[in-house]
Amino acid sequence: ELPPSEFMQVADSTWLVLSVVSSGRASSGCQATGVTKIAKSVIAPLAEHHVSVLMLSTYQTDFVLVREKDLPVVINTLAGEFDIYKEENGESVPVSHDDVSNGFLKPKAAASPTVHPVQSPQNRFCIVTVAPDTLPAIATVLIDVLFYSHSPPKEAGPGSQDLDTITFFAFSLIEGYISIVMDVETQKRFPSDLLLTSSTEELWRMVRIGGQPLGFDECGIVAQIAEPLATVDISAYYISTFNFDHALVPEEGISEVIGLLRRRQESSS
Amino acid sequence: MSGSKPDILWAPHHVDRFVVCDSELSLYHIESAASPEPKAGSLRLSEETAATLLSINSDTPYMKCVAWYPKYDPECLLAVGQANGRVVLTSLGQDHNSKSKDLIGKEFVPKHARQCNTLAWNPLDSNWLAAGLDKHRADFSVLIWDISSKYAPEAAVTTEKVRLSAADPEGGLVVTKPLYELGQNDACLSLCWLPRDQKLLLAGMHRNLAIFDLRNTSQKIFVNTKAVQGVTVDPYFHDRVASFYEGQVAIWDLRKFEKPVLTLTEQPKPLTKVAWCPTRTGLLATLTRDSNIIRLYDMQHTPTPIGDETEPTIIERSVQPCENYIASFAWHPTSQNRMVVVTPNRTMSDFTVFERISLAWSPVTSLMWACGRHLYECTEEGKASSLEKDIATKMRLRALSRYGLDTEQVWRNHLLAGNEDPQLKSLWYTLHYILCLAQYTEDMDQKLTGNKGPLVYAGIKSIVKSSLGTTENLRQSRSGSDRQADIIQYLSEERSLALQLCGWIKKGTDLDVEPFLNSLEQEGDWERAAAVALFNLDIRRAIQILNKGASSGKGDLNLNVVAMALSGYTDEKNSLWREMCSSLRLQLNNPYLCAMFAFLTSESGSYDGVLYENNVAVRDRVAFACKFLSDAQLNRFIEKLTNEMKEAGNLEGILLTGLTKDGVDLMESYVDRTGDVQTASYCMLQGSPSDVLKDERVQYWIENYRNLLDAWRFWHKRAEFDIHRSKLDPSSKPLAQVFVSCNFCGKSISYSCSAIPHQGRGFSQYGVSGSPTKSKVTSCPGCRKPLPRCALCLINMGTPVSSCPGRTRSFEVIHL
Repeated sequence: ELPPSEFMQVADSTWLVLSVVSSGRASSGCQATGVTKIAKSVIAPLAEHHVSVLMLSTYQTDFVLVREKDLPVVINTLAGEFDIYKEENGESVPVSHDDVSNGFLKPKAAASPTVHPVQSPQNRFCIVTVAPDTLPAIATVLIDVLFYSHSPPKEAGPGSQDLDTITFFAFSLIEGYISIVMDVETQKRFPSDLLLTSSTEELWRMVRIGGQPLGFDECGIVAQIAEPLATVDISAYYISTFNFDHALVPEEGISEVIGLLRRRQESSS
Repeated sequence: MSGSKPDILWAPHHVDRFVVCDSELSLYHIESAASPEPKAGSLRLSEETAATLLSINSDTPYMKCVAWYPKYDPECLLAVGQANGRVVLTSLGQDHNSKSKDLIGKEFVPKHARQCNTLAWNPLDSNWLAAGLDKHRADFSVLIWDISSKYAPEAAVTTEKVRLSAADPEGGLVVTKPLYELGQNDACLSLCWLPRDQKLLLAGMHRNLAIFDLRNTSQKIFVNTKAVQGVTVDPYFHDRVASFYEGQVAIWDLRKFEKPVLTLTEQPKPLTKVAWCPTRTGLLATLTRDSNIIRLYDMQHTPTPIGDETEPTIIERSVQPCENYIASFAWHPTSQNRMVVVTPNRTMSDFTVFERISLAWSPVTSLMWACGRHLYECTEEGKASSLEKDIATKMRLRALSRYGLDTEQVWRNHLLAGNEDPQLKSLWYTLHYILCLAQYTEDMDQKLTGNKGPLVYAGIKSIVKSSLGTTENLRQSRSGSDRQADIIQYLSEERSLALQLCGWIKKGTDLDVEPFLNSLEQEGDWERAAAVALFNLDIRRAIQILNKGASSGKGDLNLNVVAMALSGYTDEKNSLWREMCSSLRLQLNNPYLCAMFAFLTSESGSYDGVLYENNVAVRDRVAFACKFLSDAQLNRFIEKLTNEMKEAGNLEGILLTGLTKDGVDLMESYVDRTGDVQTASYCMLQGSPSDVLKDERVQYWIENYRNLLDAWRFWHKRAEFDIHRSKLDPSSKPLAQVFVSCNFCGKSISYSCSAIPHQGRGFSQYGVSGSPTKSKVTSCPGCRKPLPRCALCLINMGTPVSSCPGRTRSFEVIHL
């Protein structure tokens, strides 16, 4: 619907959305949520099969985006673990994978993926939702935040691995569900009684992945973050954007996560 | 809700109360308001009822859903689901007893805030409250809370982590640990407990319907569908569930959960509420957005749905309880078919959905109708009622009196029919004469060759047509008068046949009407006898009959006067007698007397006064016409009369049409007029040749009459009718159903012989046709072994011994 514009860059392939629905085999005891939960079952196998994925976590769920041309590989890879349904006119139709299962390359000896630097800004984030019928009540604030509050990014000095703060605001409206990720400062501008969040009101710290724009072809980026987190059972939100990927981890766990990721960085280099 | 549209709930036990909830909860008391003036402060809901506002509760903002505690006590305990996912127990006014005091204000808080979509109390364990929430990536969407649980101690350990903003002052009232958590990373849009088991919960999740079994929470049965809104279980049929999506309602059978057993016609607007009627089986009410109509789907006649093939029938109705759009409705829990609707501006209306009336006639003229739970029977009142009995009653009585089955004296059937309908009398006499003549001509045919046989059945119309040109004139005076009169009579063989059919003369060529006159005298039918005598130009005999009639016990003395008038007959054209008679005759009540004077005063050749005297029996008018009308006149008259009869469906006309296609036409209009398929069946069965029987209308009457007999459970009567029918219409004979089979090879004797035509022997050769003159076979045609033995004399069948008394009987068996 957007007019083509010289100011707009568009990644050249079409991306399909995968969404993991829990089948009721409840992972009781496992408190970690989000990307962590699917890291081993979805993200890692896809990385092994050289499928480039983007992630989008919201308040309600996690979406995995894969390129349309990779779909047969994806289906083949995941069929062992999941029942795959395709949505046709709102009805879920099971996808058979037999016809695409043959002749697929075994995972090549994984070329050690580029390890991207991670940065952790100081601001604390919250992840909230808003009841759809109260959305109009926050519309003005929302517009203000989205379009009129641009402060120039205060980058830390070059070479510094820690960003001071980052301007990050993610608003998504998917299938009627609203999800907002913003820092605590921004949150104060919203009427607090309309924002819904978890009862513990936990706060999150961000890990930004990539020193320069990551592009869309490289695979294994999500995996290299998600897998170590899954190993130590730390929940994470993961949001891929045009340039960078962002992981959100609980405030208390940030130092452990940074340590973990740095170690990984050092060990690979 | 949330301030937009009010919802309405009846109290489950205190049936005079209901709650309307939008941004607040308002409790109303409903009572009957007989007086036209409503009490102060009460709202009129219908002509009979008014509601009074008892209390308002606005403690719970952001209400999303409300559920009323299902047990009798505490009375007004409500669970409210809020936009942030919290479930709060609250109450409305009323005395707070100890039990509810502990509960009111209790909050159940999910880990992650999101909208609470639905609430459902467990109907068996009323401490269990299921809440359906929107989706959260890491949380469960179906939480089952135990309202009696205390503040969870393990939650207290993690208090430092809990930064509950509304650090609740009444800490003991917040519960954060649900009894069960189900549906992780999913959304729950609707819930209902299954009455089959306390631990079965049906949930409308995001894109699927799931049945959770709390005995084993890791398992669930689910089916992918869009119809996940408003799941509700049929209170009368616990395996039947309704759910909806936009404008479409799906009905599910939990035993065959793969797909809906049926879907109701899609509504153009999205549905907002679907509810089974708690007081009638299989009645589902649905409401769409922006509509003032509630649609009702009646599945009463739906048997337990089985298989994919049987699409059950549903009756769709709609009711419009008020002019405005309806926001919500609620069935009354006990009052039959009653509901209250509420509009967006909170006006309410109480009404009862009118029950469909179903109605059924019994085969014996009583009427049943059902309305709601009431069953009414109406029967015909008093036999002595002045109203004519219904034809069904008549037919039934006639069937009981063996009407139509007297084949010896066919005319007697009108007596069996009750001897009250002149048309039936005429019909059966006509059939009687036809059959007598047919028999007679058949007898004659054995000696002479003639072709009058079919003519007899073809009716007077055909007979008269065939007589064209064969007629002789005969001038004769009215005997007894002095003057010679020029009355022309016509004679021919066909005309005399017609007269025989009319019953005036006996069979044969004898033209004497005397036997007929005698029989009329015996019946006391003096006027008719006199008229017939006069039409046979015997004035003296006519006068004699009238005198006899006047002197007989119950006779009419006026007959003497008539006789006197007759005796004054003069041929003089301008006489006073003639003048007076022709004008005064019209005042005579009896049509025959009237016709007599019409005849005497008319010009020769123009007898309209007689011919069109409609009260004179058709047979007498036709006989008269056959005597006195020329061929052309006669044809015209008969043609005209036939058409009149056919149009009126007058059975007297069978005399004219005979049992021909014309006769069937006439019978058709008779049946149309009366519905008397019984007479029609019996009458047409007499037809020969059986052309008329092949007419599909006739077959239709016969089949209907047989069905009618079956409906009356007159099995024997029906069997009698079938026997009667097979005698008259051999083609209706049922095929043989009993065969004699050979003891040795097991083949049917008759079958095997007809199956081996190359032996060149016919069926009768085996003796099974029963004709003793033909050669018989004593062995089975299949295996050449002896035929079965007679049970009585033990002689093999087919043995040419005539002394065996049992033999004929065993042949009868074969005849079957």
